[in-house]
Amino acid sequence: MSYSREEVKAITDKILNMAKADAVEVDFQGGERSATRYANSSITANLIEHDQQVSITVYYGQKSASTVTHQFDDASLKTAIEEAQILAKRKPDNPETMPLVKPPQNYVPVDAVIDRTVNFGPAERAAMVKKSLDICEKKGVVGAGYIPKLHWTTARANSEGLFSYFRYAEASFILTCRTPDGTGSGWAGQTGLKDVNLIDPVSITETAANKALKSQKPRAIEPGDYTVILEPRPAARFLSLLMTAMDARSAEEGRSFMSGAERGQTKVGQKLFGDNVTIKSVINHPVLRQSPIGEDGLAAQDVTWIEKGVVKNLYYSRYWAQKAGKAPTGTPPGLSMVMDGGTTSVEDMIKTTKRGLLVSFFWYMRPVEAMSILYTGMTRDGLFLIENGEITAPVQNFRWNETPVVGLNNISALGPPQPMHTGEAYDQPGTAMIPAMRIEDFTMTSVSPAV
Amino acid sequence: MAQNRREFLKVAGAAGAAWSLSDAWLAPVSAQSPKGRTGPWRTWGTDALKQARGLGCTYADIRFGRKRSQALNVRNGQLTSAGGFSFGGFGAVPGGGISDTFGFGVRVVHSGVWGFASSPIVSADEIGRIVQEATAIAKASAMAKRFDVKLAPVPAYDEFYETPHERDPFEVPLEEKLAVLTDATDAIQKNKQILFATAQVSFSQDWKFLVTSEGSFIEQSLYYCSCGTSATARSKGQVKTRIYTPGASTAGYEFLVKADLKGNAERVAAEAVEHSLAAPVQTGLKDLVLKPSHIALTMHEIIAHPTELDRIVGYEANYAGTSFVKLSDLGKLKYGSPLLNIYADRTHVGGCGTVGFDDDGVKSQRWPIIQEGRLVGLQTNRETAHYMGETESRGCTFANHWRNYPFLRMPNIQMEPGKPGSPSIEQMIGDVKDGVLVEGSGSFSIDQQRYNGQFGGNAFWEIKNGKVTRMVTDFTYNAITTDFWANLDAVGPPESWEHHGMDGDAKGQPVQSNYPSHGSSPCLIRKVMVGAAFS
Repeated sequence: MSYSREEVKAITDKILNMAKADAVEVDFQGGERSATRYANSSITANLIEHDQQVSITVYYGQKSASTVTHQFDDASLKTAIEEAQILAKRKPDNPETMPLVKPPQNYVPVDAVIDRTVNFGPAERAAMVKKSLDICEKKGVVGAGYIPKLHWTTARANSEGLFSYFRYAEASFILTCRTPDGTGSGWAGQTGLKDVNLIDPVSITETAANKALKSQKPRAIEPGDYTVILEPRPAARFLSLLMTAMDARSAEEGRSFMSGAERGQTKVGQKLFGDNVTIKSVINHPVLRQSPIGEDGLAAQDVTWIEKGVVKNLYYSRYWAQKAGKAPTGTPPGLSMVMDGGTTSVEDMIKTTKRGLLVSFFWYMRPVEAMSILYTGMTRDGLFLIENGEITAPVQNFRWNETPVVGLNNISALGPPQPMHTGEAYDQPGTAMIPAMRIEDFTMTSVSPAV
Repeated sequence: MAQNRREFLKVAGAAGAAWSLSDAWLAPVSAQSPKGRTGPWRTWGTDALKQARGLGCTYADIRFGRKRSQALNVRNGQLTSAGGFSFGGFGAVPGGGISDTFGFGVRVVHSGVWGFASSPIVSADEIGRIVQEATAIAKASAMAKRFDVKLAPVPAYDEFYETPHERDPFEVPLEEKLAVLTDATDAIQKNKQILFATAQVSFSQDWKFLVTSEGSFIEQSLYYCSCGTSATARSKGQVKTRIYTPGASTAGYEFLVKADLKGNAERVAAEAVEHSLAAPVQTGLKDLVLKPSHIALTMHEIIAHPTELDRIVGYEANYAGTSFVKLSDLGKLKYGSPLLNIYADRTHVGGCGTVGFDDDGVKSQRWPIIQEGRLVGLQTNRETAHYMGETESRGCTFANHWRNYPFLRMPNIQMEPGKPGSPSIEQMIGDVKDGVLVEGSGSFSIDQQRYNGQFGGNAFWEIKNGKVTRMVTDFTYNAITTDFWANLDAVGPPESWEHHGMDGDAKGQPVQSNYPSHGSSPCLIRKVMVGAAFS
């Protein structure tokens, strides 16, 4: 399913005409999610999900209610609109209700649809799987992989005349190779690519298979503080922890790491991280090409969150911005995120490390204490000991307990940024430009024999 | 009638056009919950499977589904659109609005390979197109095949199952639901040291009609409810949130009423304040008295997940992980102390994972997983049963949505209570020299094979010389699975058994949610490492 601007506008216009209220908003989503998943060197799931939905919000003064329907026939739309109207009239006033975003909004033009990615189908995915499995068999490892494709349209329209529309297509290839004896495991992947031709199944498979083979029969070493070299995937996951604390409301309400000494104050303007930490949202980044549409249909703009270690901006929602007398940010912290990198390759980081760990993957990161952004997580799918500039042994996985506040103060080397997904799963947009990073004194607290 | 989506959109988009998908059925279906054996499902399902057979499929099923959900979140007396603390609220959109989704999914095996396709456009023509698409996907994938899908046999059923419930939550007036929540936050805010009070409830009704090429016609109507409150206090720079939640359940509106959110408000507020003033727990080996509200998540992570057969054989290697349990461990692995008895159950009334049939059309059942500390069973479905030499599925196939492909998901995984006369929680506390009493869920993280877990909780009380002394904070414990359960030294009696449902459990690619319950009595675990996360 593909939805043109005209088709979507016809649907949103129709709803806006049907609904009778002080104000009406329509959010549209629709498209196709396809995926091939394989394990034990055979395809275990192979699918195409078509879906479409509208979320209809009606307002009567400060009362509002939303309903969601996936059916666009008259009867279904009428039912959804009437249900929203009835609910809204019966709800109490919400003092946080904001007026609708008015047009015109100057959306940055983003071309996020490449036809060959849109047309990337099950036969092409199966060919990739076969190519990958053939390499796995030659190398004597077992492959488990996932090749998702998302071709999706989002739009927002309101009774003030606003209409925003964004369509994108992206694909990923994520692979875990394991040795048949279960003592070695390796990960490699490319995520969120707008051009499917950039996926290199051979290179991904070689990397994951070689890691699996090199990581066999890991030995246990003592927990403690280590120099860690995070490849882009664990670096992306680790950086994402900081972005959870960038909300201005939580900070001003005194319940976040970014809270100032007094209620209502924040840490904006303070230098909290190392000089080499600069994080931005870059709308229409040439690789990421993510949505130019922000909160409630506001035009997303470039935002500098952290510059040379100094907190420059927090995210102000429309409501909180009005309350605080500031401009709304529009751009959520995770959108089109780019961290400035350096020029040191992972290989060079290894060569200049006296004793440390090379980390392929972080897994199951969960918060432990919110105010310090203390998180716990595991290493996974390839952990290697570095001694005197060389990888000397695979080691058993560690549980870590660490905060990005400390980690981002201890970066001793950065690589060039690469596109890498920041989320635990790969099914939503969320790829960012992230460098590999070497961090000193990273706290590993216990060992796990898990492979 | 429109023949394809593009044509449909053209018509639907024409302002004022009186167009309907229906053969006079969709409007009523969208307006009220389908129930009973009416509608075109049986005919459409039969035709779809006939078409699939004609295309050379060796297996096919079609699952029609409708999911209605509603979530209400109140913060300091105000209805808000922000989500609450719950995992997922059954996918409901917060703010009190109704989400209503309707569609179907077709699953086939062709050339020994799975194919799945789904669509929200429910019409005979679209069903035909989707059957073709699912078949084409399977055929195109055969080039990468290494072996054929093998399905355990299942009898044919023609049945209707509905969650036992007293009151349909979608028929309860909004004001009544809202009053329960605002009364709770008002009661919490009577404590002037509280920064924020929240209360939330999520309701969902999942209707399914499954038709399989094995001859089954199975209709189910499943009701879910989850609810809870939270109180947040800040003292001396420490911000702590105390959560009260009875969890989630397959139930109607009555679950919210029985939860007594208001009745627990004063205690929750006081404990939030006390927690924000509490001193950190001392690091070291301690005995833990764990309440059922806490054990639920620990059981979920280090018993339920590692005993999923698809994980054991590698299906989840790329995402959720594998398992420390091996097929060869069956009947041999000493999982824990002789007091540890675990069973899987899709029949327990109120259990979040309780259904009439799984999405393979296998009837719900109950079976042992661990008996007297020894591993004796696993969770299987039609596709995986053969790996352990079983000829029948245990009925663990589940899809979160009509949109999603079904795969192996855990049922309710429960711990048997101790025998009558087993130590009560008070007696367990009395038997602890240096320990912690733990309630509720908090931080949790487990490695990809479920050996090493780190768990927090929501409230912690120090135990010294057989007495609860004070609340403590900064509490986590570390568990190596089999060592942890080996130290299980007491399980409370039958009258102390509670189940706690979860409204979110991520697994699979694309990721899907699942709603299991985990029940237990209070437990005493000896010599557990506490506080390492903060040391």
